[in-house]
Amino acid sequence: MLNGLDIEGDSLLHRLPVRLKLALLFAAAILLFLTSDLRFLLPALSLALVLLLSTGLGPREAFRRVRFVLFTVLLVALANFLFVSAAEGAAVFCRLAALVLLAAAVTATTGISAFMDEITRLLLPFERLGLVRAADVSLAVGLVIRFVPEILARYGEIAAAHKARGLPVRPLTLLIPLIILTLKDADTIAMAIDARGFRRH
Amino acid sequence: MDIVFSAATMHYAGRVALHPLSLSLCERRIGVVGLNGSGKTTMARMINGLVKPTDGRVTVDGLDTITDEDAARGKTGLIFQNPQHQMILPVLADDIAFGLKNRGLDKVEIESRTQAILERFGIAHLARRRVHELSGGESQLGAIASVLVTGPELLILDEPTNQLDLKNRAMIERTLAALPEQVLVITHDLPLLDGFDRVLVFHEGRLAADERPQTAISAYKRIASC
Repeated sequence: MLNGLDIEGDSLLHRLPVRLKLALLFAAAILLFLTSDLRFLLPALSLALVLLLSTGLGPREAFRRVRFVLFTVLLVALANFLFVSAAEGAAVFCRLAALVLLAAAVTATTGISAFMDEITRLLLPFERLGLVRAADVSLAVGLVIRFVPEILARYGEIAAAHKARGLPVRPLTLLIPLIILTLKDADTIAMAIDARGFRRH
Repeated sequence: MDIVFSAATMHYAGRVALHPLSLSLCERRIGVVGLNGSGKTTMARMINGLVKPTDGRVTVDGLDTITDEDAARGKTGLIFQNPQHQMILPVLADDIAFGLKNRGLDKVEIESRTQAILERFGIAHLARRRVHELSGGESQLGAIASVLVTGPELLILDEPTNQLDLKNRAMIERTLAALPEQVLVITHDLPLLDGFDRVLVFHEGRLAADERPQTAISAYKRIASC
């Protein structure tokens, strides 16, 4: 079933603990940056693709999720292809694309709540040192994921309102009302967080 | 449960948002009406402790909303005008579990109570749905579930049928009527108050009437026509 960023399933990645998945992703990132050898990077990219598809995401949905990041990766690889060498361009593409696919696989198999719990646990040592409030950081991550679609929808509404009034749609003129309305909502959301007992006094 | 306002006053931005208010509320169904800016929301948020009286005090079941803030807040649940504003996490079931986690419950208890409340409101099929994809009626039900899951004795709703179509409005009306909890509703939707025990009318920061629904609504209509 596909309703959130994560999908329900029983794949290997679904069964792995969140911490192990994050550690493996971190290790994979380091390994991928240690070499430019295509004999290693090409199989790595293929493996990443297999892992992503093994989560239960269909190819179309998998592509939809990563297409914007892959487009950016393609631009970076193209720059390397033109200004360094064809081999370096291919290596950059394989390396970054593999990382994107692996990260997408972790996202698809990890619920936001489990992810927030893990962030809280990982930051607890820093909380004991008085550096951060672990629950605040994980809540901030959750809030970003929660409200990015809202902010994008609001951007669309403001753009439509401009069009309806015959005003030119320019990103800069849309940004100011967007920021003001978002900040206004932020006050209410902060109040709602308090109302739901997040901060105990 | 008794909610007691003792000369509770609220000054905000150089004006009086709520003039000294003294009353006791213990009825099962309480309505609050008034023109925009009349002090209704300020009064309701005082019960939840989100707004602190600048003078006087408010107690909920004997607990002062300033000195016993957490305990008093634990007895009340507040549904905001826009239910989407109070859904903090991206997925409905996670959002419902949010309030339970804040109370330090263990994982098994959280999962069982979340599932139970989803079933109670007939929205178990929406459990893994992203909250920004919910319809108006689904959002309102999700918001009510996310608040009631923590077991408050009083539910405060700020304009719960605002922006709902007729079908969803009727659904929320039925849901509210079936709640065993004490309910306080701020609304402009006057038919929603049919069968309520008591209705408060606010005007310019003062309690203008405190009657049975029909009498209070007549008073409100007189104020609105001036």
